[in-house]
Amino acid sequence: MEYNGGSVVAMIGKDCVAIASDLRLGQQSVGVAMNFDKVFPVNDKLYYGLPGLATDVYTLREQLRFRVNMYRMKEEREITPKTFTHLVSSTLYEKRFGPYFIEPVVAGLPSPTELDPHPKPFISTMDTIGCITTPKDFAVAGTASNKLFGVAEGLWEPDLEPEDLFETISQTLLNAVDRDALSGWGAIVHVITHDKVITRQLRARMD
Amino acid sequence: MTAPGGSSGAYSFSLTTFSPSGKLVQIEHALAAVAGGTTSLGIKATNGVVLATEKKSPSLLLDTSVLEKVAPICPNIGFVYSGMGPDFRVLVAKARKIAQAYWKMYGEHPPTKVLVQEVAAVMQQATQRGGVRPYGISLLIAGWDSHRGQSLYQVDPSGSYWAWKASAIGKNTVNGKTFLEKRYNDDLSLEDAIHTALLTLKEGFEGQMTEKTIEIGVVTVPTAEQMQENSGERLPPTFRKLTEQEVRDYLAL
Amino acid sequence: MTLLAQSPMSLHDTYAAPVEHRFNPYSENGGTILAIAGADFSVIAGDTRQSEGYSIQTRYARKVFQLTDNAVLATNGFAADGKNFVRRLKQSLEWYQHNHHKQMGLKAIARLIQTMLYGRRFFPYYVYNILGGIEEDGSGAVYSFDPVGSYEREACRAAGAAQALVQPFLDNQIYFKNQQPEPGAEPFVPGRLPLSTVLGLVVDSFTSATERHIEVGDGIEIFIVMAKGRSPESLLDEKLGEGMTIEEVPPVGEGGEERTFLLSGPLKRD
Repeated sequence: MEYNGGSVVAMIGKDCVAIASDLRLGQQSVGVAMNFDKVFPVNDKLYYGLPGLATDVYTLREQLRFRVNMYRMKEEREITPKTFTHLVSSTLYEKRFGPYFIEPVVAGLPSPTELDPHPKPFISTMDTIGCITTPKDFAVAGTASNKLFGVAEGLWEPDLEPEDLFETISQTLLNAVDRDALSGWGAIVHVITHDKVITRQLRARMD
Repeated sequence: MTAPGGSSGAYSFSLTTFSPSGKLVQIEHALAAVAGGTTSLGIKATNGVVLATEKKSPSLLLDTSVLEKVAPICPNIGFVYSGMGPDFRVLVAKARKIAQAYWKMYGEHPPTKVLVQEVAAVMQQATQRGGVRPYGISLLIAGWDSHRGQSLYQVDPSGSYWAWKASAIGKNTVNGKTFLEKRYNDDLSLEDAIHTALLTLKEGFEGQMTEKTIEIGVVTVPTAEQMQENSGERLPPTFRKLTEQEVRDYLAL
Repeated sequence: MTLLAQSPMSLHDTYAAPVEHRFNPYSENGGTILAIAGADFSVIAGDTRQSEGYSIQTRYARKVFQLTDNAVLATNGFAADGKNFVRRLKQSLEWYQHNHHKQMGLKAIARLIQTMLYGRRFFPYYVYNILGGIEEDGSGAVYSFDPVGSYEREACRAAGAAQALVQPFLDNQIYFKNQQPEPGAEPFVPGRLPLSTVLGLVVDSFTSATERHIEVGDGIEIFIVMAKGRSPESLLDEKLGEGMTIEEVPPVGEGGEERTFLLSGPLKRD
């Protein structure tokens, strides 16, 4: 976890969710890259972040891409955030005794269905072996997780509109990673709404 | 020494081999076994699906309460069959395992179509692998899922499957299907479907039709309220078997 | 015959290895402290839980102490060391008053603390100190220390178990880190926030830390030191949080014109 560094945070808003990460890739205390994205899309309503060991980020991302594509073809539908969370969890637990060093964060907007025309925005997070938590407010992971908890607990409030949610998650991430030597070096934020995804790179401290 | 056609080794061949005319006679024989089996049928309604079957007891001394021809696979899917009972039980066990594996992976029950495809794949394998014979049954599979709603499928020994509005398998297939074609319409309610199922079964039924000699399973489309997840509580099943009392009540009407 | 010979290992497999036991003079007692400086006031706060490992020793242990009429010290880390350090510091301050017929100034107290801490460079007080109060020029001030006396004057500081949770929040809200003023608006200056805003941030910091850190909770004590000439009315009019009480802390010496208030209230106990 501390070998490459990096952090991810996700937050729930009013009919929207946001997920953000820093862009640092390090080798212990040495910075290596400042464009290491840790947040990936599943589809335009569902994103996930993989903070942790960089080699496992690649492996797990490919593994999940494979499994989501198989799901799409078998089921002829898009995977929901909740089902995707279970898929990630199962994938992690398969390696229970030699885990991926990654703590995933999932953020998505479930599509309305006949039975549930107004589904709630969804976020979840897991430990390295896939134990799921589904918070109602925010989820944090990575080397700055304790700092993220502190700031998010202070800044987050319920029912934020997309622009306010963007501001809240950005401030949370920036101020947390500025106090973490292993995270930072740029940041990226995705705000997922029903009609579009707003993706912005943040100007951050580069030290 | 390994016997020819043994279950393993390089010299084990499939019993299902093509005849010169391009037929797989083993499958035809399996279908014949199905056609000799007791009648089963299924009808899809606007708010559910019904599966019904005739339960024949070879002896008065048999405890029929232990006989089970309609089998729940997972809370949203149920099977009924015509053909060989032992083969059915093997497939039910496999299907339940498939459903549990799906739950383990995704934290939810499989959609009907996915389970049907997996079970059909199992049946197809038995037409191609060495050392095995095809399953001597046809299945009717009824289920509900949030993606496709209620659905009714039939799977044959060859592994072919179809989605039906209504179908019958077993001894009275032809008569049953003709009867269903006459009775079926697109806005049938589940209650109507259950009665139609009983009437269809009655055609060519041997002996008295009682709660002991038939079995009924139903899929009910849940309301949004029923799908509300409460912590510590399980969602109510969408597939269930009717109790003997319920069957008696339907027969009385 | 060799088959029957015992292997050399099995002859000696039950011998007692010497086990080293050593007294550990230090422990860590949880809790969090925090101080914020204003233009003419200083706020010094701490929670009241004292724990060791997963056990709560007491739900009410003071971590914040009035030193003089214009200085308050918050101390965090090993509680026994903290207590003893404050006792000896207070004694030094009393000696100073007897010798000089005046109370020691804040800047001098800060220097005294560093001298006392560094004096134990090779057997340190395992304590993180934050000193808050009013400087001789009337400005609010915060000094923070490490256990061996390295110190700095700042606009705000958090220390203790939930430092990692609170400090980045204060960076944002007190130092306005990662924020820019609207075009044409006044630039942000840290350490100039009104008292009501500061008190709000202090309470929020502690409720957040209580929510997410097991070693923080039970109660909160907030000392407010006000400079000469500042009306305490603004404070007394303050809408207090639920269960909060406020009292004036009597002066230590003759009583200058600085005034110290203690705002205390409950935090979650789970």
